[in-house]
Amino acid sequence: MDTELKINEVEVKPHELKVSVNVKEINKRIENIHRYLNSHKEYLNRLNVFPVPDGDTGLNLTLTFQGAMASMQGMENESMLPGEYLKNFTEQMLLNSRGCSGVIFSLFAQGVAQVLENNDFSNENLHRAIANGFKNAWDGTENPREGTMLTLMREFRDIFGKYIQEEKNAAMVISKSIPYLMEVLDRTPEMLPVLKQAGVVDSGGAGFIIILQGIDRELKHNGSGFNSLSIATLLNISRTTRKLLRMRKSHVRKSSLTPLITNIDDSKIHNSRLREILQNARKVINTWNGSRKLPGQEKVISDLEEMGNLWDSDIKLKYCTEFVLEANAINSKEELREIIGHYGDSLIIVNSGNRYKVHIHTNKPDAVFADAGRYGELVFTKVDDMKKQHRNFVSDDVIEYERDKSILCIVSGSGFADILKNFGADDVLCYGKNKPSVNQLVKKIDGLKAKNVIAAADDSDILMALKYAVSLCKSNVYIVESNNPISIIAMMLGISKEFDIATMFESAMSNLNSITYCEIARSVRNVEADGFTVKKRDFFAVHNKKIIISRTNLEQLVVDVVERLNPGASLVTIYKGIPSRSDRSLLPILREKFPNLEFEEYYGGQSKFNYYISFE
Amino acid sequence: MSQKIFVISADNLGLSRDQVDYPDLELLRFPVFVGDKEYRQDEVHNAKWLLQKYANEQVVAKSSTLVKQEMVDIVERVRSSYDMIVQVVMGSGMSSASFVVAENVRKMYEGIIPIVNVDSSQVINGVGNVLLGVIDLIKSNPNLSPEEIAQKSKDVVQNTFTYFIFPDLNYLYRGGRIGKAKSLVGTIMKIIPIIGMLGDNGEGVMVPVGKGRTFKQVNTQLVELIKAKMAEKSASTIKRMNLTHFGGNDEAVAELKEMVGKLPCNDFIIGTPNLVEAVYAGPGAYCLSMSL
Repeated sequence: MDTELKINEVEVKPHELKVSVNVKEINKRIENIHRYLNSHKEYLNRLNVFPVPDGDTGLNLTLTFQGAMASMQGMENESMLPGEYLKNFTEQMLLNSRGCSGVIFSLFAQGVAQVLENNDFSNENLHRAIANGFKNAWDGTENPREGTMLTLMREFRDIFGKYIQEEKNAAMVISKSIPYLMEVLDRTPEMLPVLKQAGVVDSGGAGFIIILQGIDRELKHNGSGFNSLSIATLLNISRTTRKLLRMRKSHVRKSSLTPLITNIDDSKIHNSRLREILQNARKVINTWNGSRKLPGQEKVISDLEEMGNLWDSDIKLKYCTEFVLEANAINSKEELREIIGHYGDSLIIVNSGNRYKVHIHTNKPDAVFADAGRYGELVFTKVDDMKKQHRNFVSDDVIEYERDKSILCIVSGSGFADILKNFGADDVLCYGKNKPSVNQLVKKIDGLKAKNVIAAADDSDILMALKYAVSLCKSNVYIVESNNPISIIAMMLGISKEFDIATMFESAMSNLNSITYCEIARSVRNVEADGFTVKKRDFFAVHNKKIIISRTNLEQLVVDVVERLNPGASLVTIYKGIPSRSDRSLLPILREKFPNLEFEEYYGGQSKFNYYISFE
Repeated sequence: MSQKIFVISADNLGLSRDQVDYPDLELLRFPVFVGDKEYRQDEVHNAKWLLQKYANEQVVAKSSTLVKQEMVDIVERVRSSYDMIVQVVMGSGMSSASFVVAENVRKMYEGIIPIVNVDSSQVINGVGNVLLGVIDLIKSNPNLSPEEIAQKSKDVVQNTFTYFIFPDLNYLYRGGRIGKAKSLVGTIMKIIPIIGMLGDNGEGVMVPVGKGRTFKQVNTQLVELIKAKMAEKSASTIKRMNLTHFGGNDEAVAELKEMVGKLPCNDFIIGTPNLVEAVYAGPGAYCLSMSL
């Protein structure tokens, strides 16, 4: 292809590009294509109605590119032939592919790379490569359907084959093919009824064209943009129109909704189905002649309902589940299909050596992982709740995410809240004596405007509410099942936002119990527990959920606790709670008794315990 | 015949001159002011001297930009005997003045001798690692053009990562070098931050990357950060590591040395602290730079 890429020439034979490529420079070009795709992400998301209206086609395609790009960065200093680069990149695309669209596009790219691996970039071989890309994607897709990205791939194969006879420059052929493919895209609603009902073109097909446009831009620096109203806005227009048409007929002309609907600028509505229904609705309203019945009214209402129902379809298989399995014990995709195929639909398996990248929609992701995990090592897993994605997708309450990841801590004490903010928590919900409501938790999580949130509470009683809140909020929330403020401090000390969210969560979980601590409280009645008799008003220390010491004198108790729990520690920290807020400092006596240890005292503000004492 | 390349850098490398195996190299010395008096690093006035003054006399120290005339003097002296000059300079995100001085000198000699200025995006042993990486480049590809050296040096810079443990951030703060780690000053609870200068973030400023309450915690976390960065960059081996220690904290540094000693690394250097670095690091500080 006629590109401007800098290449270090080694040996050129007719039709062969046996020259090493500058990996870094190609990576830059791919980054530009990714950026172009990313700028159309929302447009693609809004078209996504098939196979499940979960609004993530744009995101999945973008993430597929991102994952491959990240993997290729490690090879920037390497020298490789173009075919080798393509093979590496498409292999990484497959391994990092997300969602149906990501996997199908990666299969196409893999098929292209398989042919171009020989570094023959002649027009004939490019055509063969595109044809193989289509075949690889079609064969690799369970129940391939017309009207999808696959159709666009086949049409691209055919139009490329036709134009390449007339135009010898392959880059020009790509450019010339795009308008034709857009016509094909416009016909996808005719091929797939669900698209027609929803009034959209196929999102995967549109994604395919946008990627081609991105490539074209890189080759020739041009392209065009797409804009559209959000699905939530479209559904609102649909609902409002239905409401208007159901009004008592005498109210229709007076209603403030009437000019709203009749004056909508059609050019702003890219959803062809809604545009058509609205045109009919306007005809109904404008032709009303005072009679009791508006002609065509029922038909318009029924069309609007049908369209609304489609976007609000019942998702039976809730989780979009993906994983990469490294397994020597499995010999083929078919063997793996036998093992997990019965768990759901939309199953796509691609493999490279002993690595299998799997995509499936299921209600039992854990069972899928467990079954697959028996045959090898799961090196990557991802589960998306499509019901939640769908709800967010069709909701008006759209969050513009401002950051990728955030940490939310939920603690009782104001002192701990300050400490945790200081430690890098993006927000802290300080609930005092009254446990937070689900609503409060949802507001806090959504208020972070982060795509991924790590949430940790200092009391296990909050977990239920937190889990429910997570099901209602927009972000992907990773709950760290902590149950005291010291473990949250340990978590905060152990994680770095430098890590990706999965590693952050893993670090959070593994650091949770890394700090030894005990709680000190005063008994309000005589108690017998764990082999101790604690008298009313005595102080007692709890370590690992068991009473370990009880004393009448607080200072003596603290000294004994430090004596017992300090081995291996160099720093002892005392966190005062509300019951001991005005007590004198314990530091002088402790420093005197334990000169080799370092002591610090802070106000924690917890209401239950007089003190938390930690040993680090 | 290979071209002759002269390298200029400064005395803020976390290395002594003896630790850089390249004959055609000269290190400029940063002016350091203790009170009103100017010092340059020598046998007496070194990092240890300043750290003792910090401990015993509560002095305030600061440094100044490299002196342009001193840079010009070196170029004048060597230009007729060499084909090219490469200058490895501390990160412009930390001191734009130093890089500006280097650029001015480059422009002065345009058409006379090619000068390539490498913005290391680093300080202390991070600059040292970039310098050693650039020297590796020159040694292994002696006929690279200035453009090629500039391009390949960027790869060295982007793959250099330095982690600083400063028990007292006030030295850094007073010197105005704290960058995004400013949020860690004056914290409610005493914490030991891990501050990073990460070659791949493109900003060349200090960013907080971790924290601990004890040195054991920060050492453990630092090793995890290194492993995570290696995984992110698909690197199975570290090309070079430099652990530089500013006195005090011997136990913590020994522990870290043992921990990182277990990582796969081709060249593990125990660095040498220099006077100008001690101005900002303060007593008890240590830093680890790695190149992937």
